[in-house]
Amino acid sequence: MATEKKMFLEALRKKFKESPEEKYTKFYIYEGWKQSKRKKEFVEWGTKLAKERGIPFYNPEMHLGGIPLGQRVLMPYRLSQTDIYCEGDDLHFINNAAMQQMWHDIRRTVIVGLDAAHMVLQKRLGKEVTPETVNHYLEVLNHALPGAAVIQEHMVETHPGLVSDSYVKVFTGDDELADEIDKRFLIDINKEFPADQAAQLKAAVGKRIYQVLRMPTIVAMTCDGGTMSRWSAMQISMSMVNAYKLMAGEAAIGEFAFAAKHAEVIEMGTLMPWRRARGPNEPGGVPLGYLVDICQASRVKPEDPTWVALEAISMGAVLYDQFWFGSYMSGGVGFTQYATCTYTDNVLDDFCYYGADYVKKKYGGFGKAKPSWDLIKDIATEVTLYGLEQYERFPALMETHFGGSQRAAVVAAGAGVAVSLATGNSTAGINGWYLSQLLHKEEMGRLGFYGYDQQDQCGSANSFSYRSDEGLPFNLRGVNYPNYALNVGHQSAHTGIVQAAHSGRGDAWTTNPLIKIAFADKDLKFDFTHPRLCFGKGALREFMPAGERSLIIPSR
Amino acid sequence: MVAYKPQYYPGNSKIAKNRKKYLDPSYKLKKLRTISDDDLVKLMGHRVPGEAYKSVHPPLEEMGEPACPIRELVEPTPGAKAGDRIRYIQFTDSVYFTPLTPYMRAWMGHTRYRGVDIGVLSGRVPLEARERDLEKVAKELVETEIFDPARCGIRGATVHGHSLRLDENGMMFDALRRFVFDKKTGEVVYVKDQIGVPLDKPISVGKPIKEEELREMTSEYRVDGVPFREDKEMVEFVQRLHMLRTEAGFDPNKVKGI
Repeated sequence: MATEKKMFLEALRKKFKESPEEKYTKFYIYEGWKQSKRKKEFVEWGTKLAKERGIPFYNPEMHLGGIPLGQRVLMPYRLSQTDIYCEGDDLHFINNAAMQQMWHDIRRTVIVGLDAAHMVLQKRLGKEVTPETVNHYLEVLNHALPGAAVIQEHMVETHPGLVSDSYVKVFTGDDELADEIDKRFLIDINKEFPADQAAQLKAAVGKRIYQVLRMPTIVAMTCDGGTMSRWSAMQISMSMVNAYKLMAGEAAIGEFAFAAKHAEVIEMGTLMPWRRARGPNEPGGVPLGYLVDICQASRVKPEDPTWVALEAISMGAVLYDQFWFGSYMSGGVGFTQYATCTYTDNVLDDFCYYGADYVKKKYGGFGKAKPSWDLIKDIATEVTLYGLEQYERFPALMETHFGGSQRAAVVAAGAGVAVSLATGNSTAGINGWYLSQLLHKEEMGRLGFYGYDQQDQCGSANSFSYRSDEGLPFNLRGVNYPNYALNVGHQSAHTGIVQAAHSGRGDAWTTNPLIKIAFADKDLKFDFTHPRLCFGKGALREFMPAGERSLIIPSR
Repeated sequence: MVAYKPQYYPGNSKIAKNRKKYLDPSYKLKKLRTISDDDLVKLMGHRVPGEAYKSVHPPLEEMGEPACPIRELVEPTPGAKAGDRIRYIQFTDSVYFTPLTPYMRAWMGHTRYRGVDIGVLSGRVPLEARERDLEKVAKELVETEIFDPARCGIRGATVHGHSLRLDENGMMFDALRRFVFDKKTGEVVYVKDQIGVPLDKPISVGKPIKEEELREMTSEYRVDGVPFREDKEMVEFVQRLHMLRTEAGFDPNKVKGI
């Protein structure tokens, strides 16, 4: 790729206001935190609030005993493939409402099949189930799910103004049934997906019908992921009793409850080992393939599978690195600085498109070559060396990704995504990632930090292993897979390696078609079709989330 | 059986040869500068020069150790014998043609020194050892060709700088400004110890090594120096290693002819 076409150059010029190829610069002249608009805002608020609360608060002079942040350029960041620039602070999830909402929208979702309930109604209770009764039931549940009563007297209820983001919709692979469902309740596969993807999805779902339930964001914020299937199951059972005029408490109702809590439930996150001390529907339990299916980029721009993978990568960075590793697992705030490397400044985009072009030219397109040693070696080595050479040609790029783990993630992501695109096989893709890590370590003589490197030293050996304690098909891995339990900085790219294998082949989904359909929903607060743009809006404070409490707190 | 002769490192480029050289303990590192024992102690900041070593246990010979074949095989280091506490020295090596990269620094430590515990990160390499052993090792690490005063830093914390551009004097960034370039003497001078505590008197660590010399001495592959892709033996070595590990992980019986 010619120098002038490097995708990252524009961002580098804005970040440093110097030639990206210049090796020398000046330090210690930037007046520390005063160079940053956001840090100045922090100081202003910190000073004001310290007076109000009477306890010392945010004070940048505490940094390094009086040497504040900003001895070098506190560089801005560009959300990749957008025109949005922001400060690093704006990409911490505490400061970014869109990031919070992405996670809340995932956590507050459960999918519950309706077929078991319908079977109980028809065969055991002798009730008639028709599209009309289903529509009626859905109307009742849309009243009940946000937190309203349906069969009991003198009940407390939730304020609709606090829970208006809570609702239920359904989808089915049966076009005739779908036609008879009230459109207000339907996720219409034909309307939301390109025709070829819709055909794949409908064939996978068949005549079954599934509910997609969104609990209120305020519940997702105040309770845990395990709450969701309980909340939904209670309201489903009560709504069934109401809609089908059932006896409250007879044995058959227990079967509704069992179906709604267990048998027909698909949670977004699997349960983790007890030592993690988390329930289901928490970030650590979301398999890579599920997160990829939650991302909806593949249905809006299927002609650009590289872009699709990059969008999924950004969600992986925020969910796994910023939320899970950076907060649940480690505490503190440092991981954001690290995790932004895969979705800012068009760096990974440049590496991925370089790999995609290489694959197209040499292997005739995406998903056309069978995985082989020759292919993995060729593509992973070429993209790895290309990426490393960019850091060496452009000192400003090296300075942008100033941590070795950032460079290792971005370079190996480029290699893994390219192998996935070529083969349509995510396990081959992850093997390319591990070759990249070993090449990187020997080329630069450095890689990441201890914990980063350890997992990549043994990754080659477990990439094709299927034994239960050490291997797993790659789509089903995630931070819940033993070797990835502290796989900081890897999972965003791993998300893209899964996505690229399938988007390269034109697949409508990667791992679970039900999850792909469940998030094809325009009424979600977060825009899962363009996560990077949405994170950018969050950074610019232009994103309106759900879960606001202004109705029940004093006005400012 | 032919006697085993360690190769230390693969590859046939200038960089690979430098790597082999630094890892080979039979190669004597060239001394380029002299730092007094007291100045080195001050730079590390663990004790005051002349102060006795603090100990964490009595001397081994007073402890009445249990019978143990490993203890008989391995001669304790002087620091271990004396019961010294474990202290550290930590280096940051710039990406711009420094003699050692972090992995080279770590592997070299393991091939050359006993009783050291070394970690590797992209931007720093901590080396821990019993205190009197550490001082001996540190002397060689700072006085010889593997240390460039401008592009290698002795930094206990806030190590940030290895990947940043160089300043107008060719110095690696250091947020704490522990070291400064003295324009009058042309030497690099430490004004703070490795953890950032100001020193009573500045300590010179000598003149920066010239760029053209660094390019000859470095163990870093770089596209603007010796590109990794041109060292075909190196590339193929890593690819083979990866293939063998992958196949062994899938089915150890697949691995033949190692």
